[in-house]
Amino acid sequence: MKDERVLAHCNLFGVLGAIPTLLELLPEARAIVQDQKIAIGFLVKNGPSATLSIDHGKAEMTRGATKCGIKLYFSSPKKFNAMIDGTGTPLPISGFWHLGFLLGGFTKLTDLLSEYLRPTPEKLRDPVFFERSTVLMLHVIAGAVAEIGNEDSVGRFSASNIVDGTVRFCIGDSYAVGVRAENHRLTALHCDPGEGFSEMQFADLRVARDLFDGNINAVAAVGTGHVRIAGMISQVDNVNRILDRVSLYLA
Amino acid sequence: MHKINEYTKSREAFARATRVIPSGIYGHQGPAEGCYVPIEAFPLFSSKAAGSYLWDLDGNRFIDYMCAYGPNILGYHDPDVDAAAAKQRAISDCTTLPSTLMIDFADLLVETVNTADWAFFAKNGNDVTTLAVMTARAYTHRKKIVFFKGYYHGVAPWTQKIDYAGVIEEDVMHNLYVEWNNFEQLQDVFERYRGEIAAVIGQPYMHGNFMDNQMPADGFWQKVRKLCTDEGSVLIVDDVRAGFRLDLAGSDHYFGFEADLICFCKALANGYNVSALCGKDFLKNAVSSMSYTGSYWLSAVPFAAGIACIEKMKRIDCPKLLNEKGTALKNGLLEAAKSYGFDLHVSGAPSLFYLRIADDPSLKLHQEWIAECVKRGVFFTNHHNHFINAALSDEDIKETVEIAAEAFEVIRARHPQ
Repeated sequence: MKDERVLAHCNLFGVLGAIPTLLELLPEARAIVQDQKIAIGFLVKNGPSATLSIDHGKAEMTRGATKCGIKLYFSSPKKFNAMIDGTGTPLPISGFWHLGFLLGGFTKLTDLLSEYLRPTPEKLRDPVFFERSTVLMLHVIAGAVAEIGNEDSVGRFSASNIVDGTVRFCIGDSYAVGVRAENHRLTALHCDPGEGFSEMQFADLRVARDLFDGNINAVAAVGTGHVRIAGMISQVDNVNRILDRVSLYLA
Repeated sequence: MHKINEYTKSREAFARATRVIPSGIYGHQGPAEGCYVPIEAFPLFSSKAAGSYLWDLDGNRFIDYMCAYGPNILGYHDPDVDAAAAKQRAISDCTTLPSTLMIDFADLLVETVNTADWAFFAKNGNDVTTLAVMTARAYTHRKKIVFFKGYYHGVAPWTQKIDYAGVIEEDVMHNLYVEWNNFEQLQDVFERYRGEIAAVIGQPYMHGNFMDNQMPADGFWQKVRKLCTDEGSVLIVDDVRAGFRLDLAGSDHYFGFEADLICFCKALANGYNVSALCGKDFLKNAVSSMSYTGSYWLSAVPFAAGIACIEKMKRIDCPKLLNEKGTALKNGLLEAAKSYGFDLHVSGAPSLFYLRIADDPSLKLHQEWIAECVKRGVFFTNHHNHFINAALSDEDIKETVEIAAEAFEVIRARHPQ
């Protein structure tokens, strides 16, 4: 069963949490905020809070919404999730003079994010778009895995079985992210964590994409060698159980 | 130097399998659950088997320490068991009325297994662990079952966990979990759920994966036994994995206590398809009242094989023999590891030994070593206990230790001290 509060966590730290990566990958995204320095706070009642700090073409997502130029308040996780779905609007409670950016630059950024995370089949035929979209998905998934492992009741059960250490997920030798487990709390690492305590490697972008889209199965792909696992495989196994719930929340 | 195996035909077969079979090879004998790391080191399909060997599709021969994950206890194609099965096959197998071999087999189990007053036959371990839990619930009219963490009791929804695909909360809502060897925790659970616990189910010792296997602490099972008796709960021993490799009278007998119900499968008929739940007299009526059956459960050929298997295991004192072979292998592996500066841990009973190179907690080094062994013809797996069979010869053990040493040499060269 989908929990709106957990979905809000996934949307905030998984989906919006991919904006820093979006800026790294897309020159056109960087161009939108090249001259901006602003911190946007997201405060969800009975849910998560975070600050997206944008600084001249780069961005960082941190937990909590205390020091921000503009603060967006959502009266419930459901309201926040509606904004991410494009069916609701946020209520700014401070920093009204930044409304122009919110309605302009920030909206353009989130539109780009949606374009890459919910691509049309035509767009995916462009190899550059395909690569960027797939890498963004990798980051969104890492973020969502950590949130589900920490917040969802079934996800927490999986996390309770994960031993300490970092699971490294990589696509070929080109892109990597990590999920670090410490005392059964998970943290997404949006950079190559280096050698992991366990590893899950997708042979290439196509394999990663097909797995993310549910077109191939990870268990079968291990047998064909398209997915490689190594190290403390119980970690990979339990993270995969959480991964199964990512599709429940973000499909 | 031993030759390095190639698996071209296994790969081709696997590609064919993935087209028509979910995940190609599912379950514990598949490359994902079997932790085949890296996949290139492992064969995927066999072409034949005999004694302690199996051959893959590419003609590579392996000294097989998985023994089909346990069923092969006397050696593949044991002549006595196969002859008994062949003889019965010529008479009857799956028929409308069962053969009286069923009674003979039950008689033999009652005579052999310490706690058995009766025997009920099915096909897989999961069939009888499920029957054991149902029996406990039928007898006690209670719902809750206590498990020891790290357990494996099959694949029915009640044996799985809430985060497993296809399992719903209601399937596992009456499962309670305690740490292995932690009697105080078990007492606390009984305190908290007084009058609600139908059974405690446990393997005779902790066979968990990714960790050294753990024997019961002194007096642990005896305290569990008393607690179950005092609280009116049924004590179930899942001896599917260890059964007949520690003690022909049951692993509860080996550890000095008596289960109320004991589950057998794997080694029961040397690979012929039968499992058995044995139990004490006071539970016989509860089992009798249940609707529990299957199309092939009363087939006669596996009964004939099971009778021949148990009789032969008795003749050769199989547990003692396996323990001796396992101990010889263990000592050889430890010595080989030491000579290349590796800290190899061999845990569990020698007849069901579990391997772990402790130098690298991530187990990558261990996986490298296992891969080098498999590539050279010793079939070990990474994170599951292994199995010894009675056909394993001294020569096999010698060859295994040689290959293990060569594998240690290879990984030492790759990871200098």
